[in-house]
Amino acid sequence: MKKTRLILAVTAITAALASCSKNDTTTVVTHTIPSSNPIKAGNLSGFVKGTLLSDSTYVITSDLTVKLGDTLASQEGVNVIVKNNAQINIQGVLLLVGTAAKPVSFNSDSNTPGSWGGFQCDSAQSVTVKWAKIFNTGGPDPSGGPRKTIFVAAPIKVDIEDSWITNGQDDIVRCQKGAMVTILRNTFLSNGSTDGECINLKSGVTGDVAYNVIYSQAGTGVKLETSATTPFPQTEVNVYNNTIVACGWRRGAAEPGRGCSIGVNAIGHVYNNIMVNNYQGLEIFTDADTVHTTHGNNLFYGSLATYTDNTVTPNISINLAANFYPNDGVGKAVSTDLVSTGVGNQDPMFKSFDGKVATANGASTSNDYHLMSGSPAFGKGNSTFSPDLGAYTSDATKSNQH
Amino acid sequence: MKQILLILATILFIGILTTSAQNFYGTVTNAVTKDKLQGAFVTITNHAKSVYKKITDAEGKFIFKNLAAGDYEIVVEYVGYTNYTNHFRITADNVELTVQLTEAATALTTVNVFTKVNGEKETGARSQEKNATNVINVISAQAMQRSPDINAANVLQRMSGVTIQRNAGADEAYSIVRGLEPRYNNTLINGIKIASPDDKSRFVSLNVVPSDLLQKIEVSKTLIPEMEGDAIGGTVNLVMKDAPDSTIIRAIGSLGYSTLLWDRAYTNFSKTDIQQKSLYERFGEKHVAQPTDFSRSNLDFKSTSFVPTGTLGVTYGRRFLKNKVGLLIAENFQNQYYGTNSIFNQVTPDPNKGIPVYSDYSLRYFSTQQLNNGLTTHLDYNINDKNKIIINNVFLYSYLAQARTIIDTAILGGNGGRTVPGTGPVTTDYTSTTTHQFIENLKLEGRHILSQHFLFDWAGVLSLATKRTPDLANLAINTKIDTVHTTNDPNGPYTFKRTPNYFDQISRIWQHNNDKDYDAIGNLTYKTQLSAKTSLDIKAGGLYRHKTRYNIQDEYDLKPTTNSNGVKQVFTDIYSAGWIVYDTHGTQAYDINNYQLFEDITAGYMQFKFASERLDVFGGARFEKTKQGYTLNTFYPTGINGVTKDYSDWLPSITTKYKVTNKINIRASYYKSIARPNYYELVPAPSYSSSSANISQGNPYLKHTVADNYDVRFEFFPKNEEQLFIGGFYKKLKDPIEYAYLNGTTYQPVNDGDATIYGAELVYTKYFGKHIGITGNYTYIHSNISSIKAYTDVVARTTHDSLQQRPLQGQTDNTINLSLLYRNDKSGFFAQLSYEYIGKTLALVYPVYGFDYYQRPQSFLALSAEKSLPNKHFTVFGKFNNLLNTATVNKINTLLTVSDTYNLNISLGIRYSN
Repeated sequence: MKKTRLILAVTAITAALASCSKNDTTTVVTHTIPSSNPIKAGNLSGFVKGTLLSDSTYVITSDLTVKLGDTLASQEGVNVIVKNNAQINIQGVLLLVGTAAKPVSFNSDSNTPGSWGGFQCDSAQSVTVKWAKIFNTGGPDPSGGPRKTIFVAAPIKVDIEDSWITNGQDDIVRCQKGAMVTILRNTFLSNGSTDGECINLKSGVTGDVAYNVIYSQAGTGVKLETSATTPFPQTEVNVYNNTIVACGWRRGAAEPGRGCSIGVNAIGHVYNNIMVNNYQGLEIFTDADTVHTTHGNNLFYGSLATYTDNTVTPNISINLAANFYPNDGVGKAVSTDLVSTGVGNQDPMFKSFDGKVATANGASTSNDYHLMSGSPAFGKGNSTFSPDLGAYTSDATKSNQH
Repeated sequence: MKQILLILATILFIGILTTSAQNFYGTVTNAVTKDKLQGAFVTITNHAKSVYKKITDAEGKFIFKNLAAGDYEIVVEYVGYTNYTNHFRITADNVELTVQLTEAATALTTVNVFTKVNGEKETGARSQEKNATNVINVISAQAMQRSPDINAANVLQRMSGVTIQRNAGADEAYSIVRGLEPRYNNTLINGIKIASPDDKSRFVSLNVVPSDLLQKIEVSKTLIPEMEGDAIGGTVNLVMKDAPDSTIIRAIGSLGYSTLLWDRAYTNFSKTDIQQKSLYERFGEKHVAQPTDFSRSNLDFKSTSFVPTGTLGVTYGRRFLKNKVGLLIAENFQNQYYGTNSIFNQVTPDPNKGIPVYSDYSLRYFSTQQLNNGLTTHLDYNINDKNKIIINNVFLYSYLAQARTIIDTAILGGNGGRTVPGTGPVTTDYTSTTTHQFIENLKLEGRHILSQHFLFDWAGVLSLATKRTPDLANLAINTKIDTVHTTNDPNGPYTFKRTPNYFDQISRIWQHNNDKDYDAIGNLTYKTQLSAKTSLDIKAGGLYRHKTRYNIQDEYDLKPTTNSNGVKQVFTDIYSAGWIVYDTHGTQAYDINNYQLFEDITAGYMQFKFASERLDVFGGARFEKTKQGYTLNTFYPTGINGVTKDYSDWLPSITTKYKVTNKINIRASYYKSIARPNYYELVPAPSYSSSSANISQGNPYLKHTVADNYDVRFEFFPKNEEQLFIGGFYKKLKDPIEYAYLNGTTYQPVNDGDATIYGAELVYTKYFGKHIGITGNYTYIHSNISSIKAYTDVVARTTHDSLQQRPLQGQTDNTINLSLLYRNDKSGFFAQLSYEYIGKTLALVYPVYGFDYYQRPQSFLALSAEKSLPNKHFTVFGKFNNLLNTATVNKINTLLTVSDTYNLNISLGIRYSN
């Protein structure tokens, strides 16, 4: 008892002393560092380098080119409007960095799918896109074909993080020739007209594709391949904790798309993804590097048992569960997978989900893929990547921030 | 009685025989060898200065009928022989004369503008081969007429050292001379390079040239300085018909059928709604294309059951105004329907084993209508004995209508493949296209004897080629076939389930190109006699050519409208298909295929020919300066938008001909020659594959090829049409142009180090008695080049570029042509059975180390026969091609990649000759 009193007294004195102490106050003196080559708000065309300034609006009137050695950077809140189906050619460095509060925005003046050319970074030095909104890309190129939203064909670093890319046409992120990719926490919605993959990685690409939401892509959500003529170096990508919903419908039954596919000597490590209402789920083609490809802990769910396309005669019915691992591939469900056996079984329990299957290119959507408590996706993950499945996990720092 | 006459006829003598008509006839022979000389010019003139002309036939005979009584002068001319003159008198009897001509080594040493070889006849062809300075093979109109062939391409493939490269629809044909691809050869009309109607290359498809317009085809296998230097394999010269010495009227008509189109129907489409100009050209750049701007009926394919082939031709020639003006007009029209049925499988390397495996099985059905119309006009004016002006115009029009159906089943691939036979994604491509091609070559030339020793000749040429392809329409639809198990056993029985056909996309391309040359040529020749048996010629001259060309392409992509869920529509028929126009302004303003180019060639040369009784030495050098370049219509901000190249070459040439006897030559020669890159090959605009990481692009740094060429040939001319040639050649090519996959993914023309090519040729023609003959040739070729391939080390798991030794693309190892001839001049019957063997040929280079596409050996058999009707004016004939239904088969490793079937072609016709 006496001892207790003593402790209380000491504590009280200490507290009293502490209350009159003061934390360090440091005042540093800085100069205002000007932006490198600030670019004045207004019309842009031809060759450009420098920095797009915070909260400024720019109008691109014809093709824009960033030369080798030059940088096009953007500060937060930049708003870019693209006219005349123009494209942005990057041979130097692309550095678009917005913030959660003030993302960078690129859109066409017409705001319709396929109305501008995107970022053609074939021979860029590096590509970084963070907290950017890139809408309505994929207009026709000089040969009349659709353009990719971000196209890289060089062994460079490609970081695409925390961005929204919606209503594009054709491929969205297409990288080849040994690009090193970090594609994290992005939201891809309603891209591809009647063809086009969302993340299409070919010929020696390596890196991570994780915590992305891919909804209603015309073709395949994440597609990995190596060049057939140059099988080495191989494409080897970790595809984990993505939420891939309602992909692969718009090409029709003759050419269904997948949530994720591995082919032509590529290696995928596919874990912890949630795949719902895709035409086909995870496809590992016979020509993939099946020896080194690994997968597990993926959740497959259909909010309908069968989807019936009644716009064609005779109607076509597709059994969603039969296509979780399509029978023309060699991939098979593994014991760590969560494979739904019927509607209601292994429902990932998205915060809100309209249950739609096939929807149009550019269709609006308001689903929220956060998981409700009680979701079977919690705690079933491969711990190398995350304890949970999908783009929204219990670790909010790693999860998709949207 | 006749035999006695023949014996009499061997004496140089005027014989008078007793008959009731007043005919003058006779035989022309070689005084030494006693060979009968075909194609000699016999001219008789009476006191009233009326002139009559005849040409000796295959037996060396001539006849002038119903001559008025009186005295006549006779002149007999034959190239390489001294002229023969005499006089004779016609009274109440027939007159027979035997003319023996003496071959004179020095006969050609004084200039003579009007020297003529009768190129229409095989004897003339032999004579040209024998007397030519360079190594040359000649085929005459007579041989072409009697062969199973109706166009220049088919004729050429029977010539020694020549094979023909065809495309899948068999509507294009280019010559490969001595194993060297078309890029290493040049094609001339009347000795002048012709503009190319191709949108990217320098080539002229030879199957648009009707053989009935030709006097002869010359294939020069060695070059002399006066010839253009851009032929490493050889020069193919199409010589059009020339004005005759006496009036000729000829006509030909035939009907035929391609038997493949008996077995399956010909696919046709309507041409009535095809817009001849693109939307961009019709409405300007501001036009926003609407779905209704595109016709549908040209994508509505229907079957036509009866499609006969027909040809019709007339030739008229004569001399006017006291023989001062010569005219020849030849018109030939061919309307052909043919089809090909093909297997066209695609392969891809199996990454785990590094060897090719099937990626797609595909079937192709092409139905082609090809309408060729050729019109040649020749006009010459002999101002006097020393000056002559000639105008030649060649106009070739070709119309092609083609329906293509390609059914492709994916075995592997990014959108899934086949699980068991009968399944897989199936894409069906329907294409309809019409093409109009024009080639025009107008040559004005003059020859002037300036003095006894000097000859000047000049030519100005306009050569024009255009091609127009309005609305090449392609429709792609796709479906997928899967298995459905009928029990719960996944390994148990199954049936097939097929999805509906989906409307994938439509593309529409309007394209036209134009290639125009202006040439100016001048040559000065000095000829002199050094001694009784030796002579010297010196010739110098030059050429300037200015070429311009452009290509314009405008493409529109039509995408299917989608259903309410955004899914592409099911395809039922073209009239109910709904589409949106994806690129509403077309691609004309910035299509990567649109370019403009120029090429200026300035050349000069000097050459000499020293001739003695036994030895001719010929040599000299040519200088060629090339300036070429292009600009693209598309602007690449930091890319290459244009290129100009400038290079010059000294091309020495030396030839010796040792005349062992009057019938035997031994030749040896060396010359240097070049090959220029094809025009679009310099354009680096990348074309990305949508399905793989591959790029194809041109190479602006491509160098022209320079080759050293060595030749020897032994020639024996036993008599008349007979021949025996044994030749060998060796060529070393610096910077040959071949296609390669750099890093395994970039498909590009490159200069692949050095290549060597050597071979041997044998040509033999022999008649056994009066009726039976054989003619044939054999060619062996070996070539070697190191080319860049992707090499995959499966153990080390790396892929890197590596050099592979292989033959040159297009090279055939063994080629045999053998024809059995039967002729009976008396009854006017001629038959020819032609066999052709084409050995293993490198058809196409494959990107992976150790593998290439090879065409398998082929054997062809063809038959032609003709019989002249009793009045001697009409001849009926039949031509039967591909009697063995031989297919063209390509394989890679053991995998079948191409099998094209054409089947038998039949044609029957009649010829008239005055």
